[in-house]
Amino acid sequence: MLKPILLIEDNPKDLELTLLALDKSNLANEVVTMRDGAEALDYLFRQGAYRDRTPGNPAVVLLDLKLPKVDGIQVLERIKADESLQAVPVVMLTTSREEKDLVHSYQLGVNAYVVKPVAFKEFIQAIQDLGIFWAVLNEPPPGSIKPEKRS
Amino acid sequence: MLTQSGPGQAADVDLANCEREPIRIPGSIQPHGVLLVLDPASHVVLQASDNASRLLMDGRVDPLGKPLAQLLSESIVRTLVPRFDKVPSNAHPLFLHTVNVGDRDFDVVGHRSEAGLILELETVTPDSTNSSSDLHLEFDIFSQQAEAVTSVPELCQQMAKTVRRITGFDRVLVYQFDDQWNGMVVGEDGNGRLPTYLHHRFPASDIPAQARELYRLNRIRIIPDAGYQPVPVLPPKTPGRDRVLDLTYSTLRSVSPIHVEYMRNMETMSSMSISILRAGKLWGLISCHHHEPRMAAVAQRTTCDLIARAFALRLSAVEQAGRYERRIAVRSTYSKLLAAMADQGDYIAVLAENSADVLAAAAAEGVAVLTEESCTMFGKTPAENEVRELADWLFRTVKQDVFSTDSLSLVKPDSAQLAGIASGLIAVSVSKLHPSYVMWFRPEVVQTIQWGGDPHKPVTTEDGQVRLHPRKSFETWKETVREKSLPWEDSEIEIATDLRNAIVGIVLRRAEELAELNDELTRSNKELEAFSYSVSHDLRAPLRHIVGYAEMLRESLGERLDAKGDRCIGIIIESCEYAGKLVDKLLSYSRLGRSELQWSQIDLPMLVEEVRKDVMRDASGRTITWKIGKLPCVTGDLMMLRMAVRDLLANAVKYTRRRDEAVIEMDCRDDGDAWIFFVKDNGVGFDMKYTDKLFGVFQRLHRWEDYEGTGIGLANVRRVIERHGGRTWAEGQEGVGATFFFSLPKPPKSEKEG
Repeated sequence: MLKPILLIEDNPKDLELTLLALDKSNLANEVVTMRDGAEALDYLFRQGAYRDRTPGNPAVVLLDLKLPKVDGIQVLERIKADESLQAVPVVMLTTSREEKDLVHSYQLGVNAYVVKPVAFKEFIQAIQDLGIFWAVLNEPPPGSIKPEKRS
Repeated sequence: MLTQSGPGQAADVDLANCEREPIRIPGSIQPHGVLLVLDPASHVVLQASDNASRLLMDGRVDPLGKPLAQLLSESIVRTLVPRFDKVPSNAHPLFLHTVNVGDRDFDVVGHRSEAGLILELETVTPDSTNSSSDLHLEFDIFSQQAEAVTSVPELCQQMAKTVRRITGFDRVLVYQFDDQWNGMVVGEDGNGRLPTYLHHRFPASDIPAQARELYRLNRIRIIPDAGYQPVPVLPPKTPGRDRVLDLTYSTLRSVSPIHVEYMRNMETMSSMSISILRAGKLWGLISCHHHEPRMAAVAQRTTCDLIARAFALRLSAVEQAGRYERRIAVRSTYSKLLAAMADQGDYIAVLAENSADVLAAAAAEGVAVLTEESCTMFGKTPAENEVRELADWLFRTVKQDVFSTDSLSLVKPDSAQLAGIASGLIAVSVSKLHPSYVMWFRPEVVQTIQWGGDPHKPVTTEDGQVRLHPRKSFETWKETVREKSLPWEDSEIEIATDLRNAIVGIVLRRAEELAELNDELTRSNKELEAFSYSVSHDLRAPLRHIVGYAEMLRESLGERLDAKGDRCIGIIIESCEYAGKLVDKLLSYSRLGRSELQWSQIDLPMLVEEVRKDVMRDASGRTITWKIGKLPCVTGDLMMLRMAVRDLLANAVKYTRRRDEAVIEMDCRDDGDAWIFFVKDNGVGFDMKYTDKLFGVFQRLHRWEDYEGTGIGLANVRRVIERHGGRTWAEGQEGVGATFFFSLPKPPKSEKEG
């Protein structure tokens, strides 16, 4: 059984477009979607509404930077601070080019960072590159991961 | 030329001598009366002048140890004793009564000292009396006249006349002390028997410090006959006390032999002086002289003293009245300047714009307003470097908020060459940190001063010993005073002080405003950052959605989409992508202005080659001749400069698109402090009248369909170059080509190289 891809995105349009992009990459992995940071943490730590979910970490977390309740940076922080979760690759998806977000995310140990391009084709390409990379290689070697950043 | 040390030196000598002069305890009195020291309780005589027995008792009895009643009659004592209660201690004696003893009339005055009750009985001579009603009348007339006069010299003149009328002395002088205690005759009345001294000066050594102090304590002194023989007071020391009798407040006190010598040299045998005190300080003297011996009775002297006191009261009023009008004028100028400064904030500009008023406020000939950065001068002032040197001296040596002098070279000898412009100086400091001053200058005024005799020669030496001798000659001695301006009036110094306070207030307010502005700037910068952030997020998202859904639409319609529909969707997508680019460019432009430069050495030839290859990728298939000259290494921010070079080369490639033989040239020349680079092409060029627009944000000079672009490239170039301290400009001709220039300042050479 392939590990699922966890997609955390609050904007329904971005969610639909990202799902479409993932769909186009013909991945066999299930895509689990969460709509805010708090829900994502519940899922990741198997608490609250997700207390009873099947154990196991996602193959990759696609995390939007700006989220309601608990924002992306905080989710990233929690993941990288947790022993069992820190090996899970996290890709930050965002509209922002602001360098302080970027710097902050890298400081927290984000594995990749994708600025969502306006051009949809480029976005599909970026998602496909990521999806394929993370989902196929189930156990990426930590620290050596430098997926090509597209913008 | 007079040096200021002349009279001063003499003053030192006279002080030293004066201290040896026992002027308060001469041990003797003048012979025109009798002095008795009584036990305060029993009225037994403790001490008496040697003439007491002769004048009071025809030499029959030794008065010492006798009760007063034995010297004077019982009835006289009965008249006097009730008044003893009113006799003051250590103060000017009180007139008690005129009594008749034997065949003589005596005016009796009394005061108390540590020694006891001191009675002085002055013989009354018939020619020295006026009726008391006459004296009242004189006082009354003087008071009325004093009310009417408007100038100090007039008031002095009036007083001299009145005192002469009362006393009948040959000459009455009103003598005023200056700051250095030199005296100047400011009023005079005389009958011509004695020389006139009006406007003459007398050196401070003429009236030594100790004598001045005695004048202050005891306001009336009379010497009816300079040829007198002193009468000793016996015994010299009061019984039971170990000190010679103190005659500070005595009216009969024998005066210094030096003074008597002085009088003889002046050919005056009698003199009287009344002190003029103002706020407890010796302002001057009424100095009366007579060729022959002459007496003024107690009542006359008292009236003169009253007149002197009325004079002192009136003096302030008259002086103030004289200054009042000027003060009003100055005040109105001040208000005007203050209002302008409050309004405008820039005090230097206000002072410069109102230079005539600023000069007039202190009746100065020149003004300099000096700060760290600027030196604004108007009227007659020293040169800027001299003003700066003066400011440094004030800042380091004087250290006063307000400094004024009418003889700058006296306090700063190396400024003598400025005397013609700046003998007088008021300088107000407007900063505690820097030598910032407002200075008013007055030129030297060469003055001739008449001295009553040569002030340099009051000292003679005998047997190698310096001894004080009064001057023998009172012939007018003229001297020329140089390097001195007209003195500053109090009101002028006051206005300068007020202006200083106003300026300091304004400077402070400006500093506060600047701090506030800085806060505001920081705030608005943060706001801008937040704005950029939200633009990048919130504006890009919908654009992205439009593009994404348009793509989905195109896909889902598939075959059903006709060419027209496909074109529409294509334009929607293209437009949104373009809008996204604009947003990105705008953000990066704003970041260019905000982010810090990362300085490094840049191999420009290598950078240009990289960029050239890069831009050529978008121009494949074109023939472009590149002429890259020898470029230097420069210091700057690599990312930014790469961007600027890229924008310039890409532009050149873009606008030569229609040339079959495109030629793009990049070279530089050394302009001393800076390198000047240029990128020249033979493209479409531009009309020079639009050259101003070229470097603006989103400014485009070509039609969209001819040349694509966001119109931000050259704005980026300008911003990058400006942040490096350089300039950008362009030359062009429509249809011929364009040349874009930019300069980059060279880094300052290290000392080793220099």
